[in-house]
Amino acid sequence: MASVSATCLCLRASPYSSNTTTQGTRRISSTKLVSIPWKNSGFRSFRITCAAKPETVQKVCDIVRKQLALPPETELTPASKFSALGADSLDTVEIVMGLEEEFDISVEEESSENITTVQEAADLIEKLVQKKAEA
Amino acid sequence: MMNIRCFQNNFSAASFPLVPVQLPSRMETHLWYVLPNEVKSMSLLSQYSELLSPCEKEDINCIRGDDLRKRALLARALVRTTIARYQINNQVNPSSLKFRKNAHGKPEVEWQDDDNLCPVPLHFNLSHTSSMIACGVTMNVAIGIDIEEKQRQLKNNVLAFSRRYFSPYEVKILTAISDPEIQHQEFIKLWTLKEAYVKALGRGFSGLPFKTFTIRSKPATTGSFNLSEDFVSKASEIIVESSDDPENLTNEWQFALLELAGSHYAAICMEKDKTVGGEANTPMKLTVWKTIPFIEDECVSGTDAVVAIGGLIKQ
Repeated sequence: MASVSATCLCLRASPYSSNTTTQGTRRISSTKLVSIPWKNSGFRSFRITCAAKPETVQKVCDIVRKQLALPPETELTPASKFSALGADSLDTVEIVMGLEEEFDISVEEESSENITTVQEAADLIEKLVQKKAEA
Repeated sequence: MMNIRCFQNNFSAASFPLVPVQLPSRMETHLWYVLPNEVKSMSLLSQYSELLSPCEKEDINCIRGDDLRKRALLARALVRTTIARYQINNQVNPSSLKFRKNAHGKPEVEWQDDDNLCPVPLHFNLSHTSSMIACGVTMNVAIGIDIEEKQRQLKNNVLAFSRRYFSPYEVKILTAISDPEIQHQEFIKLWTLKEAYVKALGRGFSGLPFKTFTIRSKPATTGSFNLSEDFVSKASEIIVESSDDPENLTNEWQFALLELAGSHYAAICMEKDKTVGGEANTPMKLTVWKTIPFIEDECVSGTDAVVAIGGLIKQ
């Protein structure tokens, strides 16, 4: 889908496929506006962030899968909501802890309400990792 | 309290109404719980489905996995049927209830605004595990509940987890426990109490970081009531203190900690009703029902299914 900002025009190649290892997205650096079509709910609101690397998304999926003890046949996509996967608050907190350890970052509690899906977790991780690298 | 047993059949919801219940009084909590493993009938589950709004049905359809879907369905059915029992404004149909989120994102009932009636001050809060779904109800005061399986395993080490999320005082208390099983139990109890508190406040985990407050027990002051067998034998009160301002005891919240159905810890946090006169340390009156909506309700207060383990509680 195309979206226009004052400074750049960016395209996302395709919606997320269910196979997380073949992402149709391209990594575009610095600021951009992204419009992502989500199933059932039209467009997600605009955010100025970079899309997380596929490897990051994959690691998040692995941690989530382990924490929630999901059977292998359970499909896990970037859009997968933790609550829909059966995560309660303790699970979410443990997932965040697992992510902090894996990526050596620190997630503020205030941000944790923004982590409701795999994609949101991956995006936040990349933001924190980048911030840490710049510090 | 009536016990109603019947064979699960193709009764429609309308032909087997919910047993009505009186609203809780001030300083009283009602707790309703359902055990998903006891709900097996497909026709009953589809009756529950019929109670849901289109949005709720849609949300449930997005969930993968039969058990998870069933749990989500039972949670909505429990909330709707529980509130319908109180027959507020003569509204008895669970499927006609509307819900919304308040400014903090906490779910609440959106009462039909006929004749510009004041909103009914009924409060509720839901919690679930894989083997139990519970709904707490109060009048006039805010409520938060949290349940956890006693045997729930943590992926992380208890102390590492506590150091990351709990207050220094709480970490100290947990570290001092040498028996790992007891340490695990105390951790789960503390977690449920902290969760219940932030849910009562309506801010949730991210709205009020767990490190910013301490929950602990303190021996109750006897005040103006006489201790009797109704009360927890240790008669300890559970209190919450803000880490920023430990001298200022947040005396507005009352806690109860229970062992439920032998398998779960349940924490209830209820706002104290300031309009009720008398000693501030009045015990929380608690009534608990085990239910299979439309099929069976059993009042289990005072039985083995409800064991008070913390806070001042009167069953």
